[in-house]
Order: sequence, then C-alpha cells, then structure tokens
Amino acid sequence: MVAEVKQSRGFVGPAFFRTQLNRFGPLLGLVLVIAVFSVLTGAPERYLAPKNLRTVLVQTVIVAIGAIGMTMIIISGGIDLSVGSAIALTGVITALGINAGLSPVIAITAGILVGGLVGVVNGLVITRLRVVPFIATLGMLGVARGVAKGVAGSQTVNMPETWANNLLSTVPKPEWLLVAPGVWMAIALAVIAAIVLRNTVFGRRVFALGSNEAAARACGIATDRLKVTIYALAGLLFGLAGVMQMSRLRLGDPTVSAGLELDVIAAVVIGGGSLNGGEGTILGSMIGALIMAFLRNGCQQLGWENYVQEIIIGAIIVIAVAVDRWRSARAAAESY
Amino acid sequence: MRRTISLLIVLVMIATVSCKKPGGPAASGKKKLTIAVIPKGTTHEFWKSIHAGSNKAASELSAQGNDVAVIWKGPLREDDREQQIQVVEGFTAQGVDGIVLAPLDNRALVRPVEDARRAGVPTVIIDSALESDAIVSFVATDNRKGGVLAADRLGQLLNGKGKVLVLRYAEGSASTTDREEGFIGEIKQKFPGIELVSTDQYAGATRDTAKRASENLLNRFADEVQGIFTPNESATAGMLLALQDIGKAGKVTFVGFDASQVFIDAMRLNQLHGIVVQNPFNMGYLGVRSIVDHLQGKPVEKRIDTGVTMVTRDNLEAPEIQTLLHPPLDQYLK
Repeated sequence: MVAEVKQSRGFVGPAFFRTQLNRFGPLLGLVLVIAVFSVLTGAPERYLAPKNLRTVLVQTVIVAIGAIGMTMIIISGGIDLSVGSAIALTGVITALGINAGLSPVIAITAGILVGGLVGVVNGLVITRLRVVPFIATLGMLGVARGVAKGVAGSQTVNMPETWANNLLSTVPKPEWLLVAPGVWMAIALAVIAAIVLRNTVFGRRVFALGSNEAAARACGIATDRLKVTIYALAGLLFGLAGVMQMSRLRLGDPTVSAGLELDVIAAVVIGGGSLNGGEGTILGSMIGALIMAFLRNGCQQLGWENYVQEIIIGAIIVIAVAVDRWRSARAAAESY
Repeated sequence: MRRTISLLIVLVMIATVSCKKPGGPAASGKKKLTIAVIPKGTTHEFWKSIHAGSNKAASELSAQGNDVAVIWKGPLREDDREQQIQVVEGFTAQGVDGIVLAPLDNRALVRPVEDARRAGVPTVIIDSALESDAIVSFVATDNRKGGVLAADRLGQLLNGKGKVLVLRYAEGSASTTDREEGFIGEIKQKFPGIELVSTDQYAGATRDTAKRASENLLNRFADEVQGIFTPNESATAGMLLALQDIGKAGKVTFVGFDASQVFIDAMRLNQLHGIVVQNPFNMGYLGVRSIVDHLQGKPVEKRIDTGVTMVTRDNLEAPEIQTLLHPPLDQYLK
C-alpha cells in the first residue's frame, strides 16, 4: 500500500484514479446504493435506523460466509456451484444432530465437517478425475441436494429449542452484542481470511495458482493438493453457512437455498473477483454481498415488485464486471 | 473515470425510473394504515386471487374513510422459506402497521412473526397454520370440512357402497392431511358400506410424481375400485392423467380438490365427478379486513373459515360458482 502511494505521488493522473477506483470501486457502489435508497424511500432516518441495518446485516451473513469460501475458490481459478446444496445438506445434518439429543456444539461441528467433506470430494473429483470445476461442482449440486433430501426423509427436520436457534436473530441475545452473534462470526472470519490470503504463503500460492497454474506448478507448488485444500476450506465455510441457515429457519430444510450459489458468486464478482482467477479480495466480496442485501431491502421498502429487483441485481452484476473489464483493459494498455 | 461515472449515473437512473410509487393518497382524518400481504409465491393463480381479494378489502375500507394501503410482496424465490423470512423481517424493520402472511412453514416463520409482534407489528395468518400464539387470527379454509364434503359427494354417487381409494398428497403437509382425515372419517362414519382399499399411498409434490403414484395404485386396484379421492391440485391432476391413460376415466367415480381449467373440462366429459374448491379471494379479503379490524381495536375471531364449496357438473354454470372459479382478478389487479 505504501509503495503504491509512493509511485503515484506527484502524479495525480489517470493511473492514480485507477488505483483508487480499483480499491474503492465496490465500496463506492455500496455507498451509492445506500445513498440512492435513502433518498428514494424518502425516510433516510428509517432506512438507516439501527433496526433496519441490523436486519440487513443478519440477512447478509449466509451469503457473506459463503462468499469468503467462494472468493478463495475463484481467486484460485475455480468455481463452486454446489454451495446452495451444501448449505441445505449441512443444515439438515446439524438439525438431525440436535434433534437426536447431541449438544449443539457437536451437532454444529458435524455440520461444518460435512461441508468440508463435500469440499474434499469436489477437490478430488477436480484433481484426480480431471473434471473441470464447473462440471464437478454442478454434479455435486445435484448429489448434495439429493443426499440432503434423503437423510431428511424428504421433509423438514424439526429440532428442540437451543442456543443454536439464536445465532442469527435480528434482535441479538444478549442485546449488548448489538448485532447477532452470527454477524460477528462472519466479520471475524472475513478478517482472518483476508489476512491469510494476503499475508501467508498459502494465500500467495492461491493467487499464483489462479494467475498461472502451469507457472505455479513449475515453481514447485503442489497444485493438486492445494486445490483440494482450497475446496475443503471453502466447504467448511459453506458448512458454517448451512448452520446459520438452519439457525434462522429453526429447522433443517433440505429444499432451502436452491440457487444461492449464484448470489454467492455474484457477491464475489461484484466485489472485483475475476472468474479467470488470480483476482479478488475478501473485503470486495463482503461489500458485494452487502450491496445485494441493501438492494433487496431497499426495493422491498419501496414496494417494488420482485421482478424489478431481479432485473436491477442482474444489471448490477453485468455493470460491475463491465467496469472491471474496462479497468483491466486500461491497465494492460498503460503497461505497454 | 468519466465512463465509470456515467455508468454509475445509469445505475441511479435505473433505480429512479423504476420508482413509480408516489406517496399515496392524501391522508384523511384517520391514520393511514399500511398492510403488508406476503404470499408463498406470486405466480400461481391461487395467490393472484388472494392478491385481488386483499386489494378489494383495501379499496372498500378506503372508500369507508379508512386510509388502507396494501403492499404485496412474495419471497424472491418461490417457496423458499429463507426468502420469506427476509420479507417478514424487512417489513418489520420498515415498520408497516400490520402483516398478513401465508407461512411457507408452520415453524420456520414463528421467530420472525414473534419478532414482528415484539416490534409492535401484529400478524394475521392466512392459508396455512403457524405454530404460534402470537398471531391475531388464522384465516383459512376449513380443510377437514373440505374432506367431509368430498366424502358426502362420493358416498352419495356410489349409493353408500363399493370400494374407494385415497391417494394422499405428501407426508407432513398439514392442510392436505386434514382433508384426507376429514374424508376418511366421514366415509367410515356415514357410509359403513364403503370399503377403503388404500389410504396409505402418497402422490408427492408434483403432477409427475402424482401420476406415477397413481399408475402404481391403479395397476393394483383399477379393476376393483369404484371411487377415488385426491386431496389437492397436483394429486388430482396426476390421477386424472393416469385414469385417462388406461381408459378408465369416466368409469370410476372420482372426486378431487382445487380448481383448474383441466378439471372443469374433465368434469364436462364426466371424467371427474366433483371438485372441492377453496376461496382464496375471500382469504385475501378477510385477511386484510381482520388485521385492520384488529388495528382499529375491534375484536377479531381467532379462527376464521373462508369456506369450501363442492363444484359439480350440475352447478358449474351457476353465477356464484363462476365467480368462485374465476374471481374478478382484472378488476382488482392493475
């Protein structure tokens, strides 16, 4: 960061703006969305009231935790389409555990580990069977959803009241937490993941893998093992997202989150992640997730119909990526 | 940079242009009441009828000098519990005056509804039950009565004797289980001469699964049964298809549930001998009336029946049945 500032000191030209835009583009988008809706609702004090912000944050958590894992996968040049199914499966497993009388801690751990297991299988199919990630995880989308329905007996899994039900209440228990415990967990995980990606050997290798796999292998990185590790870590996060989903529903629902993978991928892409690999930040992805949550909330408060909302979110994904392409085209042009 | 700015401006414009809701009518003497109506989905005809009914209630109440506005908002993904929870939470945070909700799940929606109650937003439940006491009222079809109506019709057509089978809908679905139990109870009690040869098979969620289940059942029982009952739209449709395929349609007495054009056509061909229809239009109407009554301090019944009607070939053309089958959607949905 210091180096970049030095480079551009004394030269406040396009390059400077580009660097700044690069860093603050998604944030600018978020501020813009919040500002627009504050004005449109005609009651900014209500739109920005703690009550509403708390609701939006809670509604962001599941996509946000998923997006942390997805960011790693996308940076490494992969993709995971099985997130929604993995969330349903791990939620059902956790609910079954709690219903069977296990302590919530054990049941939740089991749920998270099942998420990791789904990730390991994805990783192994991709590396050992040489199936491209898109297809491997498309298969898993079906398999995990089917297993979820199977173990749940094709119906929702009820469970007794425990503290696990309050991870994502809009009004947190205890109230001095200000926001639900799940929101704090998501923030903590995002900070940890950002540090790991930026400052550790593992993190640098993930970027190297996504930027140029052949070069990474030539440099002595065991790319196959690295891939399995990435999908497994992401899987653990998807497992946690599944636990959060179960907590919100207060039951295990094998049909929930169908299509959620697209929200998660959209969050990463809006946040500056590139599906070509090698690019993406945790902060960006979190902002991407927030943008979509604020959009939904704002559209609802304005009484817009769902179709308007879907069109806007679709348009924003395309605009975000178009801006990104334009940015990197400019960068390429300037480096010659 | 300039292009980025123009892109952002385009974004703002998209948002602004799609804002077409002005502030609403000028408030009369009474406080304006904003009621959020939340269905399970938005594309089915059933929910459109509920929407029209709630709009009718709002315009009637407004004509009487109560300023009532209805906001109609379904889950972004149809039939997704999480999405419906988000909608309830959104309205709670927004501070609407009351909520009318058709819960996708009798348990998953309890927390958001109770949170809303704590935040001072009361809820009337329509269509499907919610396991909570924190609600103002439950406005829905008396499903048991629907099953009883079907049993009476089938019993009379069969003159109180013969073999009958019931194809159930799905395990754990409260409304259809009530219909099935209502049917079975009435048959056993009122028509001892009728034998129930199968009551333990399930149609499953879709028309397709229902057709397969029907085929399997008919393989075994087609030659001996005289009567069939199915408790919802998909089960009735699947059974009808299976009967038509094996050429048995019209040869057995068949009573179904819910309305659709296919069923009405089948009824004209005498392949279907009655359908029990609910009144979703009335459900939407009474849902909004009840929450407004509650907000204005009037007493509201804890359970309100929106009525079931037996539609047959004979009464099909009657005006009241036609209104039931084709509620005035165009008049109230613009």
